[in-house]
Amino acid sequence: MDMFLYLDNDTFLHRLDPRTKMLVMLASFVVALMFYSLPTLLGLTLVIVLYGMAGKTLGNLKRIRFILLMIALFSVVLWSLTYGGPTKILGPISTEGILYGIVIGMKFDIMIISGMIFLSSTKVEEISLGLVKLRLPYRGAFAFATAIRMVPMIVATSFTIAQAQKSRGLDLDSGNLLERAKKYVPLLIPTIISVIRGTNVFAMALESKGFGYSEDRTNYLQISIKKGDYAILFLALIVITVSTYFKFVVI
Amino acid sequence: MKEVFSMWKDTKMVVLVALSAGIYAAVLIPFKGFVLIPGITEFRPASALPVVLGLLFGPAGAWGAAIGNLIGDFFGSLGIGSSFGFVGNFLFAYVPYKLWRNLGMVNKDDMEPNLKSSKQIIAYVVVAILGSAACGLFIGWGLELLGMVPFAALASIITLNNSIPSIILGIPLLIVLYPRIKKWDLLWTDILPEEDVPAITAKTRTGAIAMTLLVLVGLIGGLAAAVGGGQALLYSGFASTAGNQMVVIIAGIGSIGVLIAGWMQ
Amino acid sequence: MSENIIELKNLSFRYKDQKEGKALSDVNLTIDKGEFVLVMGPSGAGKSTMAKCLNGLVPRFNRGEYEGETIVNGNIAKDTNVSTMAKEIGLVFQDFESQLFSTNTKLEIAFGPENFQVPRDEIHKRILEMFELVDLKGMENRQPSTLSGGEKQRLAIGSVLSTYPKIVCMDEPTTDLDPLGKIGIFNIASKLHADEDFTLIIIEHETEESLNADRLILMQEGKILRDGKPRDVLREIEVMDNLGIMSLQIPKYFKEKFGVEKADLPLTPEEGVEQFTALGCAFDEQQYKQLLDADAKREESYGEELIHVEGLEHVYSNGNKALNGMDFSVRDGEFVAILGHNGSGKTTMVKHFNGLLTPTAGKVTVKGFDTTSTSIFEIGKHVGYVFQNPDHQIFSDTVYEEIAFSPKIRGCSEEEIDIRVKEALASVGMSGFEEEDPFSMTKGQRQRIAVASVLSARPEVIILDEPTTGLDYKEQKQMMDLVKKLNQQGHTIIMITHTMWVVSEYAHKVAVIKDGKMMMYGKTRDVFSKDEELAKSFLKTPHIVNMSNRLGQTILSVDELKRCTKEG
Repeated sequence: MDMFLYLDNDTFLHRLDPRTKMLVMLASFVVALMFYSLPTLLGLTLVIVLYGMAGKTLGNLKRIRFILLMIALFSVVLWSLTYGGPTKILGPISTEGILYGIVIGMKFDIMIISGMIFLSSTKVEEISLGLVKLRLPYRGAFAFATAIRMVPMIVATSFTIAQAQKSRGLDLDSGNLLERAKKYVPLLIPTIISVIRGTNVFAMALESKGFGYSEDRTNYLQISIKKGDYAILFLALIVITVSTYFKFVVI
Repeated sequence: MKEVFSMWKDTKMVVLVALSAGIYAAVLIPFKGFVLIPGITEFRPASALPVVLGLLFGPAGAWGAAIGNLIGDFFGSLGIGSSFGFVGNFLFAYVPYKLWRNLGMVNKDDMEPNLKSSKQIIAYVVVAILGSAACGLFIGWGLELLGMVPFAALASIITLNNSIPSIILGIPLLIVLYPRIKKWDLLWTDILPEEDVPAITAKTRTGAIAMTLLVLVGLIGGLAAAVGGGQALLYSGFASTAGNQMVVIIAGIGSIGVLIAGWMQ
Repeated sequence: MSENIIELKNLSFRYKDQKEGKALSDVNLTIDKGEFVLVMGPSGAGKSTMAKCLNGLVPRFNRGEYEGETIVNGNIAKDTNVSTMAKEIGLVFQDFESQLFSTNTKLEIAFGPENFQVPRDEIHKRILEMFELVDLKGMENRQPSTLSGGEKQRLAIGSVLSTYPKIVCMDEPTTDLDPLGKIGIFNIASKLHADEDFTLIIIEHETEESLNADRLILMQEGKILRDGKPRDVLREIEVMDNLGIMSLQIPKYFKEKFGVEKADLPLTPEEGVEQFTALGCAFDEQQYKQLLDADAKREESYGEELIHVEGLEHVYSNGNKALNGMDFSVRDGEFVAILGHNGSGKTTMVKHFNGLLTPTAGKVTVKGFDTTSTSIFEIGKHVGYVFQNPDHQIFSDTVYEEIAFSPKIRGCSEEEIDIRVKEALASVGMSGFEEEDPFSMTKGQRQRIAVASVLSARPEVIILDEPTTGLDYKEQKQMMDLVKKLNQQGHTIIMITHTMWVVSEYAHKVAVIKDGKMMMYGKTRDVFSKDEELAKSFLKTPHIVNMSNRLGQTILSVDELKRCTKEG
């Protein structure tokens, strides 16, 4: 299983400063949360998709299409069954319910797509450096970046462990819910133990390379706000301002 | 609360944050696709971890649960809800380790979570449920506040979803993990210098009692207000829209109150 | 004029929870600038503790009672921060996975200098230099997780060297590596040694590689037992045998067979051949024929075919073709060793033997059952698989529960489970350990528990993946004697390994895999007679085999050669 979300391309989007991309992501969240009108949300979706296309990142959406689809479907089914509303179509299902379900589903999907575009165009190191430049302490950013890096390794370990236990006769797919739950014990324990076992060496190796020598450190990787960033930042701020104006003043 | 920030000075604790987060995320991700579907969502094995990580690694476990959940969100649900998920999962590990020490359910001379006595097992079940509830309360409140998901449905589902694995899987997990972690000197109380492990005082005791009450009042009160306002529990709770002011106020008092009570300990 | 760069004065250390004795007791040692020092000893001798004293990890990180002094380039280690000591001395650990922190090889090298606030341009210069030094050119911008074990360890070394320490200490850097990976590390060591100002300390198990060092130190129970030129120390066969580390085979043979004086003992196969001829010795053809006859007789004694492989191909879901048309067959009672460097496809191959993987093309049958249509659960009754790392399968808090897992899951009765657990424990020589906690045991013991937990399903075939990796010589021997006993009791053994002396002394047959193809296959003696062909797969026969090959016959152990020598 490929666990890395970053797509290594050299595009306008990839060259943007991680802080700019974070703000764009945030702006899309804010706008998605503010409006319940279908045309507005459709417009926002279009903008975000274009933004993602600029970075050739939309390929990654294929990987989560199942989740996106489930969220949309679940949302429509749930709300059309339970929303109520005057224009009944069949039983409890109403036009308003279906529309409301679509709107809520879209809000979730927009945020997820926007998040995925950010992660597909930004390296883990850039995210962590961006956070440091935004005044997050280095050690926190380090732990965050390390955790992301560890995930695929831990998943690989757990696959090996699953194979080892299967060879001994463990069958994860049978039994009732409680029995199945208990079957995760032979997988979880060796996984946790073999990961945690490395803690001491990990910490020793870190200090042996000068981790914590000084509060300040050089950053080999460089990020900076350039012309393109200013343009995008400006656009994002305008979008937020205009949205807020329409949301709270006009309506 | 002090140790939550001072622990970052210690390299081992930093590493434990990263590893806890990595493990939590790695177990969360394979189940990502199933989270929202009724009928399959009842079981999320990863939810067994935050309580166990909190009791073993203290503040490092709490940060680990918070960051791990955020990374899990990267794989298909990163959105504004992730910020509430961050705090909620922090509390999922933080509340248990604080209450374990400060609620007075465990003997002072047998504080380490070995689950060898029935007294400890009972204490584990209590703090696991309260931790699960604190997480459900905070996330439920947050999304109600944003008008995204009704409180009664979300808070009750998360609380149950968290409690069941933390108890069924968490107990056997902790029983086997504790002796190894102890042997490798990785219990948080063994790693941090003595002055950084908060002493148990009248003030922390008060904080723990306040925390327990606030979790219960926030969750039960919020659910009652929500049901009174027309929401229903669990999945039928999606029948109504979010944004009930009474619910936002009561659950909000609970959520913010838990954070303040956490500060006291 | 040489100058001290490291000085240990009456150094003693006892870990906080250490029950008896001391990890180091009263060690005195000075190391000169520019020296290349090798440290050897069985596990528990205090080697790693000594390494950790050098940069202050002991006592600042591992707490305990510390006496005496460690001075490194003028700094008193115990009074200095570990991260400050890192400027003087770099430490490389055995576990390469735990010492890489970045998602990019360049940033990995930059990590240390970044911490020391080295200017960016200078870091860039050092990155280029390090990629050259540790032979990773062309790997810039790779994810460390996509590198092989050997490359990861070289990257770890580069990331330590980039802070420009004056001393580097490597703690068993090659233990987890395949033969190719080991060669890479030894190459770096000799490059570093060429720099006269650079001090290098390596803790190693590989006796055969130790001749290149300036100095060899043997440790035992926290004390220094021998300290001298490698050529002198390596001739002390008895000392090494008693210590439980592997003595060199060539001097051992000459000492035991002819009682050659210590000073005159040859060390390498070349020197051995010279002395053998000088002594006027020859092969005893009759004895040698007996060896060959015994081999042939064993070959005839095998029973029915248990595993049959035909045209096996395997393509992973990411498109990697790991196996490229393989034919293979294992008969009842065989003891087969599978050799080949990491990534050659050997693990992929054996995972087909118990149904963990199914063929993309071709066919695998186990006892006549096609693995594509039979469940792992069924095949598991006949084929047991012991994974490389025992910690990947142990999860219970008592030995009994761990071993009972397999029979329990297969629905055996309580009495039956009890019988099987006892039987399995007896087989691995660990009766009486039922109620012990498997996690508190040594790696060698945990490895045995893993074997027992597979034996309890009573499989006819046992697959072992690198059963001796990470064990010291004594533990390796114990493990292999156990495997040999299981084979004699009727189990068929298929074993993946990198340890060549283990193969030559224990395996009946050898298969060499490279790039998903079977390069060589046959009786151990036949395969090991082809030194040059083995070298193409980066494999080197043990010294004694190499010497006998040079003399025209293939001998597999010191004892065999002693028997087949006709004195002149």
